[in-house]
Amino acid sequence: MSEDHHNTDDSGPAARVKALEALLTEKGLLDPAAIDAIVDTYETRVGPRNGARVVAKAWTDPAYRKRLLADATSAVAELGFAGPEGGHLVAVENTERIHNLVVCTLCSCYPWPVLGLPPVWYKSFAYRSRAVSDPRGVLEDFGLELPGDVEIRVWDSSAEIRYLVIPQRPKGTAKMSEGELAAIVTRDSMVGVAKVEAPRA
Amino acid sequence: MSDAALNELIEAARLDRDHVFSAPWEARAFAIALQLSQAGHFTWDEFRDRLIAEVRASDRIRARDGTSDHGEYYDHFLHALERLLDEKGLAH
Repeated sequence: MSEDHHNTDDSGPAARVKALEALLTEKGLLDPAAIDAIVDTYETRVGPRNGARVVAKAWTDPAYRKRLLADATSAVAELGFAGPEGGHLVAVENTERIHNLVVCTLCSCYPWPVLGLPPVWYKSFAYRSRAVSDPRGVLEDFGLELPGDVEIRVWDSSAEIRYLVIPQRPKGTAKMSEGELAAIVTRDSMVGVAKVEAPRA
Repeated sequence: MSDAALNELIEAARLDRDHVFSAPWEARAFAIALQLSQAGHFTWDEFRDRLIAEVRASDRIRARDGTSDHGEYYDHFLHALERLLDEKGLAH
């Protein structure tokens, strides 16, 4: 990092962001109301609930599942999910034999329209550096132990391609509706660090 | 499934959403970067290139020294944003 950046480090990040926002607003480059709207959107509106709806539909609608696996970008747009960082989405499906795990080793690439912004652990050095070299160990850290004969496929996200894991539909959920199924699909299962559990009766 | 059970699941899923930002300034920094790129002052790819460079530099230090003293993800994010605004002459 350059010297002039070290100079700005004297004040904390909160003060620097505040100063930046004030300066850019004064110059007419930023609209504070729009900043509030973006924060609200990514804190409360765009999130893993979108992806959960995609997964639940894929579980219950074979034709949709086929479209999702063929062209995920178009298939999620059918449900109204599009926007920044959503292009070139690829859906990968977990089976009895294959488990998919998603990482971005370079920084934080992640499919925003279906999962929102990435959680803290996804951007951590520990996760980024180990997901490729020791995926089984990473999954065990998340409390997921897979049988030895299950192949783990690791997908490294990039600016060009983002991945959505379609987790396995848990046993004992045959009677659940699409909406009920969407409620049990977690963010972690769509990144591949967890399985979806059937609700306890 | 009962309504109560369903609500509990949805609540659990909602809590799943936290930890996207660890502090309000992280959300503001993210929103500033996104708004400026959407307004065409730079492309998100240009921003991402700077972010990747910051993260890579930090990874190297961490791999070597095992410390995280040089900051976490949104510290890198803010550095990348400041650097790009500097290059574009937007923050003078």
